[in-house]
Amino acid sequence: MNQINDRTTVNGKKSRSRVLEMSINGEAHEITVKPRVMLLEAIREKIGLTGTKDGCESGTCGACTVLVDGQPTLSCITLAVECEDKNIRTVEDLADGENLNYLQEAFLDQGGTQCGFCTPGMLMSATALLEKNPKPTRDDINKALEGNLCRCTGYNSIVDSILQVSDQGVKPRLL
Amino acid sequence: MILYDFEYERPGSLKEATALLNETGGDAQLLAGGTDLMPNMRVEVVTPSLLVSVSGIEPAAPEKCADGSIRIDSLTKLSDLVDAELIQNELPMLAESAHTVASNQVRVMGTLGGNLCQETRCLYYNQKHDYQFVEPCYKRGGDCCYPFPGNDRDVCWAVYMSDIAPVLIALDAKLEILGPDGTREIAMADLYTGDGMNPFTLGTAEIIQAIFVPPVPERFGWGYHKTTVRGGLDFGTAIIVIVLQLAEDGETCCWAKIVYSAVGQGPLRPTTTELSMEDAVLDPALIAVAASQEISPLPHHGFNKGFLRENIRVYTERTLVSAIECAQGKI
Repeated sequence: MNQINDRTTVNGKKSRSRVLEMSINGEAHEITVKPRVMLLEAIREKIGLTGTKDGCESGTCGACTVLVDGQPTLSCITLAVECEDKNIRTVEDLADGENLNYLQEAFLDQGGTQCGFCTPGMLMSATALLEKNPKPTRDDINKALEGNLCRCTGYNSIVDSILQVSDQGVKPRLL
Repeated sequence: MILYDFEYERPGSLKEATALLNETGGDAQLLAGGTDLMPNMRVEVVTPSLLVSVSGIEPAAPEKCADGSIRIDSLTKLSDLVDAELIQNELPMLAESAHTVASNQVRVMGTLGGNLCQETRCLYYNQKHDYQFVEPCYKRGGDCCYPFPGNDRDVCWAVYMSDIAPVLIALDAKLEILGPDGTREIAMADLYTGDGMNPFTLGTAEIIQAIFVPPVPERFGWGYHKTTVRGGLDFGTAIIVIVLQLAEDGETCCWAKIVYSAVGQGPLRPTTTELSMEDAVLDPALIAVAASQEISPLPHHGFNKGFLRENIRVYTERTLVSAIECAQGKI
């Protein structure tokens, strides 16, 4: 077993911080991080975009999903240094100022958000799915969202939201 | 954030990566997708002082070699493996097994080589030591296995849970392993020691570079089953892979292979049962009973031995039926 005697040093030396360039929501950012900092913490604490949520911290719940080069990625188990020169999109990229995009409107129409904690991850997974497959079936959606857990168990309305936005016969609920 | 400091390197080729691992000795780890390593580092089950990342290396697409076998780069992402047309057409079993791995995000991040080299798991082992209410378990440096007190003193009962490894064993895949002294080739089954403490035969600076899957013969049939509690986003309760070849009459079995995963410290094979299936007309019910009695499943994640044995009996029968139907061309 590797006993950690001094938890902040490697062989008695502090590890080197790195300066990284990455594009977040189309804006170039330069951040300075240690290798042990996760992408999630870089986005939330260094950049200040707190839309991405920190759930299980072990890659299970999917609340931290962001798009790295268009691919849905769990930012809580991705090192920030791994994302050097990558193109990252978070939930803040979806709305244009005060105007929500169609997917977010569909979530509102269907009641796809309850407590809202899983919603950023759900939106990013759904965005990646719709960019790859504009008309997903219910099965495709279930498979694409299997890594996003909703503890309010509102899965049906989330799936309906994605069917609504992909124009597959699901109408907005009357409120 | 990971609670201790470590160094990070991102070499441009696997050769440089082995050199870096070799320099640092046993205290460095290779980082591919990180979906297994990062949670383990967060709970400090493994605490490498150097991570050698391979994210700067672009994997080659799966391709057919001159001898008909298919070469798959070990850095291929699981989602790319599922989507690759060559794999879907020639090795549908491999595509299906990769498709059952965890969630969409994990498949996008995780690599094939990383899936094969994932650490063994146990409910007690995979948590922070603060939550291990007695001493650290045997794999973590303690005296004995606390979750299974009836276990032998010097044995770890953590379970190897890869969904893809049993498929590659059944398909007779070969691994090309890159080390500091060049490459060597081993059979897929020789990657595993069957010991929970040290599940792999790889040296400290060795990296799986590529996987070669030979072509399948005529009248070949396969069946794959992964039992899970929730369907998606789950490690398997028991994973069953059966491949076989039928004779020209469409009834007699020439040879068959049964591989189980997630029920032992490495993939398990009921070899006596497999021998009894050679040149015989198969009775799936009898074979399922024989196979489930022959192997000894390890209790894991709350499933006891009796449950796992019964699960294996039931699903071995169903998987075998579908493998025979696949070989007969019915499905």
